[in-house]
Amino acid sequence: MPLLDAATIAKLAGVKVRARAVMEGVLSGLHKSPHQGQSVEFSEHKEYAPGDELRHLDWKAYAKFDRFYVKRFEHETDLRAVLVVDASGSMGYRSAALSKLEVATTLAGALSYLLVRQQDAAGLSVLSGGRFADVPPRAAAGHLMTLLSTLEAVVPAGPTNLPAAADHLAEGLPRRAMVVLFSDLFDETPDALRRILQLRSRKHDVAVFQILDPAELEFPFDDPTLFLSMEDERRLEVNAREIRESYLEELGAFLAQTRALCAEMDVDYQLVRTDDSLDAALLQFLAKRQGRRR
Amino acid sequence: MTFVHPWLLLGALGALLPLLVHLFDRRRPKPRPFAAIAFVLRSHRRTASRLRLKRLLLYTLRTLLLLAVPVALARPQLVRPGAAALRASGPAATALVVDRSLSMRFRDGDTLFEKAREEARDALAGLLPEEPVTLVPCGPDVEVPAAPSFERARLRETLDTLQPSYGGADLNRCLALAARALEDNPLPGKRLVVVSAFTAVSLQLDVPAPRVKVADKLVQPEVVLRDVARGRALPNHFLLDVKAEAAPQLGPRMVEVTFTVRNVSPGEAQEVPAALELGGRPVAKAFLALAPGSTTQKTLSARAEAGGAVTGSITLQPDALGEDDRRDFVVQVPRDLRVLVVDGAPNAVRYRDEAFFYEAALSAPGSPARPTLRDAEAAGREKLSDYDVVALLNVPAPSSEAAARLKAFVEAGGGLLLSMGDQVEADSWNQRLAALLPRPLRLVKSAGATGETALRPARLGDVAWEHPLFLPFTDKAREGLLAARFSRYMLVEAGQHAGDSAEVLAAFDDGAPALLLARRGKGRVLLFTSTVDRDWSDFAIRTSFLPLVQRSAAYLSGGLEERERVEGHIGQTLVLRPETAGAVAEVRAPSGGKVPLRPDADGGLRVGPFLEPGIYRALDAAGAPALPPFAVVLDAAQSDLTRVKPEALAAYFGEEAVKGPAGASQAKAPFWTWLLVAAALVFFLEGTLLRTP
Repeated sequence: MPLLDAATIAKLAGVKVRARAVMEGVLSGLHKSPHQGQSVEFSEHKEYAPGDELRHLDWKAYAKFDRFYVKRFEHETDLRAVLVVDASGSMGYRSAALSKLEVATTLAGALSYLLVRQQDAAGLSVLSGGRFADVPPRAAAGHLMTLLSTLEAVVPAGPTNLPAAADHLAEGLPRRAMVVLFSDLFDETPDALRRILQLRSRKHDVAVFQILDPAELEFPFDDPTLFLSMEDERRLEVNAREIRESYLEELGAFLAQTRALCAEMDVDYQLVRTDDSLDAALLQFLAKRQGRRR
Repeated sequence: MTFVHPWLLLGALGALLPLLVHLFDRRRPKPRPFAAIAFVLRSHRRTASRLRLKRLLLYTLRTLLLLAVPVALARPQLVRPGAAALRASGPAATALVVDRSLSMRFRDGDTLFEKAREEARDALAGLLPEEPVTLVPCGPDVEVPAAPSFERARLRETLDTLQPSYGGADLNRCLALAARALEDNPLPGKRLVVVSAFTAVSLQLDVPAPRVKVADKLVQPEVVLRDVARGRALPNHFLLDVKAEAAPQLGPRMVEVTFTVRNVSPGEAQEVPAALELGGRPVAKAFLALAPGSTTQKTLSARAEAGGAVTGSITLQPDALGEDDRRDFVVQVPRDLRVLVVDGAPNAVRYRDEAFFYEAALSAPGSPARPTLRDAEAAGREKLSDYDVVALLNVPAPSSEAAARLKAFVEAGGGLLLSMGDQVEADSWNQRLAALLPRPLRLVKSAGATGETALRPARLGDVAWEHPLFLPFTDKAREGLLAARFSRYMLVEAGQHAGDSAEVLAAFDDGAPALLLARRGKGRVLLFTSTVDRDWSDFAIRTSFLPLVQRSAAYLSGGLEERERVEGHIGQTLVLRPETAGAVAEVRAPSGGKVPLRPDADGGLRVGPFLEPGIYRALDAAGAPALPPFAVVLDAAQSDLTRVKPEALAAYFGEEAVKGPAGASQAKAPFWTWLLVAAALVFFLEGTLLRTP
């Protein structure tokens, strides 16, 4: 059940507000969810029962909820998450309320909230105009504002270059980390996605949010149209109605191939439409991860 | 090709529209930055060639569409090869022969004749303005056509009023007449247009094809054949013959109708119902199985409600030519004939009784006569009006009172037979029966008994065979009548005096009358000058005795004429023989119209020609029946709709002369309608192609 729809999120100005709203939606969803207690890397809370070790009591939770919870923290102790946001020119496309980049930054911000709230280390890597803006992973509460400020400053530019991002991450992540990629994956370099997914072979945990606009998925154009590339000088004048079916076939094949590759590389994959409810998308992602963990 | 509205061809310029739109419509496409342009480019690469082909097809279809509609509206007309060839060599005098035969009543949606009318109109419309034309309606009654003229409006009016006949058409004769009419026009080109179904019965291929004399030379005219059947077979079954007869052996007033059905269709017809009507009411039904090309016969019997002339019909389930599935008939159902037989010489030994043979002949099985035997004395007490015929067999002269009663009986319409014998005394008979005797009696003549050699017995020498009494006597039956030997007979006065109304129907070989007929008032008197037993002749034991006795009784009662089968045929005439001149004032056809009447050379009344089948009625001046009705039937040969093959037609008229091979180019080609159909098809294709990705 969508908690906050995209149109409502779009009315909120700035990544910080949007991300918080989405995060709260997620938390609200978590409380309502049958998978209560699950999170990214979450160590679940268990209500205290006689016999549990007292040293594992979560005093903060006790302070907050006035109940005793035992915290299971064997998986979270050294979690380092790097949120990779593709800010190429194509991510600036919008036909709905939010552009793909706005959706990517909002999702990344909400996830940052969740991570930092759990005292996990969250970092950021933004690819824009062929350059990387990195924020190293930290678990401090004040680090969240750094992450959100960085996300807020992102503007779409330049081509999508997933292999470069893969190389950059491989160099910058000496330890095992969780890599979450927000991108439309529109990179025409052969094996671009495979390159970034190969981080998985370096023991990194990889998850992909493929963010696409409804117009990209449905191609609702009828008239003769001059299509312009958002990353380079390519252009094509064509009667959109005539190529619609062929376009949808091509795109369908691309999405199927992407899904298949992620499944093959054991990577979590989530397709997000920019008109989707973002908290629902995030919840779905978290549920999927929890399912994998079990 | 010519056009009815050539100015509408300007609309064909619209066909340039797609090209012009393509060349000059340079609308700016809407620029649209698009992230997934890689897929757009890939899709375009994949579909570019197919789209180019589709676009080309669309341009072509739209051009064709915009071209076809104005061309169709301009009403193009294909000039047939024949006409084209002819026009190349100049205009031609044309004779339009339209088949009106029964076959043209064949119904295939419309009748073939309606199609023929359309074809004829089309042929008229297709002529050049300088081409004169004449019309030859070809039915059972063909008139010599007028010379070709330019009165096309009148010809169209004639065409509009033309109707198919019920008879046949002699196309050969019609073509010959048409060819002769063409000779009256000075144009060198000659053309015969034949609109017909070309049945084998209407066109004989073993007579010379029509030729036209031009400048003392016989030339072959151009022949345009318009086959209204469009090359198709014309399946038909029809009544070939109907024979209706009284069947006294089956019971009183029983009628037996035997009918023959022929199926000239290639297919079998199962359970074809056939219905018999008598006197306007259905009385019997049968079902027939008609194999292809077969002839089937069936007999139905039924009882008529009354005697006399009874009308009836056999009706098959109608097929495409329903006219030949019904045939009317008139059957003579014998009336009961009451005969008072007055025995002048009764005898206890039956075979010696005067009336023995006569009564036996009247009572024979199948005879309608009901004889009542009385001696001369008892007969005087009988009420004569209860009888149709009185036979006085060898009786003494009746009393004056009895003679007066007899006279009144005959004059009121009764029949009287008088036969001689020993009881007959000439003088007293002449005295009492003077008003009835055809001629006065004189004396008995002995010609010699049978077996005697001194005197040779007399035989019948001169017989009026054409008289209704003797009509059944043909060949051996005639010999049987002539073989009877007469040893004695009564001589009568010669009939040369004025006022003699007697008619000698038979005479002995010496010229003495043997059988005389006289009319008295409304009745008839027959005088047989010998005996009806074996006393004076052996006639009573001859085979001819029985039919003659029965027929004479019937004739005297007036019923014999009714028994003569009178049947007419379409297109023919018939001679009626009323009892008295002027009895028939008019003859009415089944539709109520009057049929032409004219006196015939031999005293009869010639009626006809008959134009429709059914029951005809001869009426007197007061509108009452003057004669029994009679039926007019179709000529069964006209119902065989087997067609002449197109190649046989071409061979007959000459391959080079026939400009429209039957069945092919004869198909009427309203080209513009096909163009519109094609335009609609193109429109549909364009729409389909447009929706095709």
